[in-house]
Amino acid sequence: MTTLAPNILERIKRIEVTPAIPAILLPLLELLKGPADSVEIGEVVRLASYDNAISAQCLRVANSPLFGIAAPPKSVSAAVVSLGLRRVESILMTCCMGQAFPVKKWVLDPVVFWRHSLGCAMVCRKFSEKLPGSDGETAYMAGLLHDIGFLVNCLAFPEEFTKAMEVARAEQIPLDEAEHATMGFSHSDSGAVLAAQWKLFPDTIQVIAHHHEVEKAETAQALVALVHLGDLLCRMRGMGYGYYERRKVDMISDPGWEILAREYRELDGMDLVRFTFELDDAVGEIFELVSTIFGASTVHA
Amino acid sequence: MTIITQTTSPPSSPFKAIEPVDPLYRQIRDIVYKVSGIYNTDEKLYLLVDGCAKRIKELKLRSAREYLDHLTAHPNRDGELRHLLNELTIGETCLFRSMPQIDALRKVILPEFAADKTRQSMKRLRIWSAGCSTGEEPYTLAMTMMEEGEGLLKGWKIEIVATDLNDRSVEASKAGIYGDYGLRNTTDYYKRKYFVAAESKKLQVKPEVKKLITFNRLNLSEDAKMLFMKGMDLIFCCNVLIYFDGPSKAKVVDHFFGNLNFGGYFFLGTSESLLKLNDAFHLVHFPGTIAYWKPSLNSGRLG
Repeated sequence: MTTLAPNILERIKRIEVTPAIPAILLPLLELLKGPADSVEIGEVVRLASYDNAISAQCLRVANSPLFGIAAPPKSVSAAVVSLGLRRVESILMTCCMGQAFPVKKWVLDPVVFWRHSLGCAMVCRKFSEKLPGSDGETAYMAGLLHDIGFLVNCLAFPEEFTKAMEVARAEQIPLDEAEHATMGFSHSDSGAVLAAQWKLFPDTIQVIAHHHEVEKAETAQALVALVHLGDLLCRMRGMGYGYYERRKVDMISDPGWEILAREYRELDGMDLVRFTFELDDAVGEIFELVSTIFGASTVHA
Repeated sequence: MTIITQTTSPPSSPFKAIEPVDPLYRQIRDIVYKVSGIYNTDEKLYLLVDGCAKRIKELKLRSAREYLDHLTAHPNRDGELRHLLNELTIGETCLFRSMPQIDALRKVILPEFAADKTRQSMKRLRIWSAGCSTGEEPYTLAMTMMEEGEGLLKGWKIEIVATDLNDRSVEASKAGIYGDYGLRNTTDYYKRKYFVAAESKKLQVKPEVKKLITFNRLNLSEDAKMLFMKGMDLIFCCNVLIYFDGPSKAKVVDHFFGNLNFGGYFFLGTSESLLKLNDAFHLVHFPGTIAYWKPSLNSGRLG
């Protein structure tokens, strides 16, 4: 991770909690920190009902085929019963994120950003399902938030980030490389600062800070590796940053794969090609979900 | 040539709009995948449903359930699976079928080859279209390489070897005449540049394109002949290995590995997997497509 210059840190710290941030986001994050069995269902339901728009969205998402329940829940508490508390928390979080950032300053097309973030969340959960003992919802949340630094860059460094985006598009290189080349730091660095400010889980902060350089993660290396691989897969299967990345990805030779395989022996037997094809099945759903949640409130850059 | 790909959308996906697809078809999809490596995504599941419908009619069965039994418990299940695979892949081929493969070739692989010192000194690339059917794939490759020959690969010698088991396919390939259906993905730019008018509104590939390609009959199971196909930089073998049983497929893939130069790539169809057949190949992802890579000698990551 790049050490940020004081003036850059200062600009990130000046991003205030805007009125657009749903009131329930920070309390929800607080709830999510606790172990699942210590969370009161009532508390989650109370938080969700605080914001009608969010609970309505939450139900729409819960009803999407991605979650595959036969009888669609009609209330947040019913959703908790059919989907489980953790998953409903993840869904609420997804909806909150959609409202958390003002729409005026988008540099990256917000639809592209949310497709990538939500896609990555879904891929990470599916990936985690292949690895017995890993927690799917933690993976989902980490995938959802991993690129939060792009939003920081849109808000705090709009001009510099626009330049980075232009370079990435023109040269068809990974966006983080273009950020380093033009700004001297990347969304991993700026995202980590915001994540610390928001007091996200330490593991999530590690993911945000190191998902492009897994070896540098100090803790939660397996989770960081999982999100790193999920991110790569999304970018190779039509849920990237909205432009062609001229690159070849050898996932199995990737340091992230090795780290994950050390923790989960099942990884060696995994059919990565089939997993890739299965992800294609979910892409359409992700696109629909993004227009459900974010469509109305976003503008194309 | 690639047969089931994501490059063109089907006119409609009826099952999605009207009713959810019977879960039985997902079971059939699993069987097809385990035996052949072909995976129909949900979006393409209608192809499988259509294929099964034709087989059900042909066999005079009453339901998808009966057909599933036929595929799992019937003495002729292997033969039946072959019929089903035929239904799944028949008539789907066309020029420029898989744009993600062509993009990977032009934007990633050829620049990599052009920068490779060994290849740079030879300025020569050999490409093999194994199971070329009626020529759509080798011609697509030839035109793509001719485009690159005007820039990145200026002065390079390009050889394309196209083989098929079927004599008639080889003959049709040599003729290189295509109608609207075969040309449905070919842009006007390519049509004008690389084709001439032929009878009944068809187009024929120009001689200078044909000149790049050698057409031959070849059985991929003939070891002696396979050993002869050395020095390839790229091998395309789309929806051919799906018809081979496990051991024969493994043998062919081992040959392909041997036939490739270090740093070379092996492509299957866009919906096709090698399953777990050869550990020496590295599975690599490009945007929208995958390939199998024979690592370079200097990459330090051999098999």
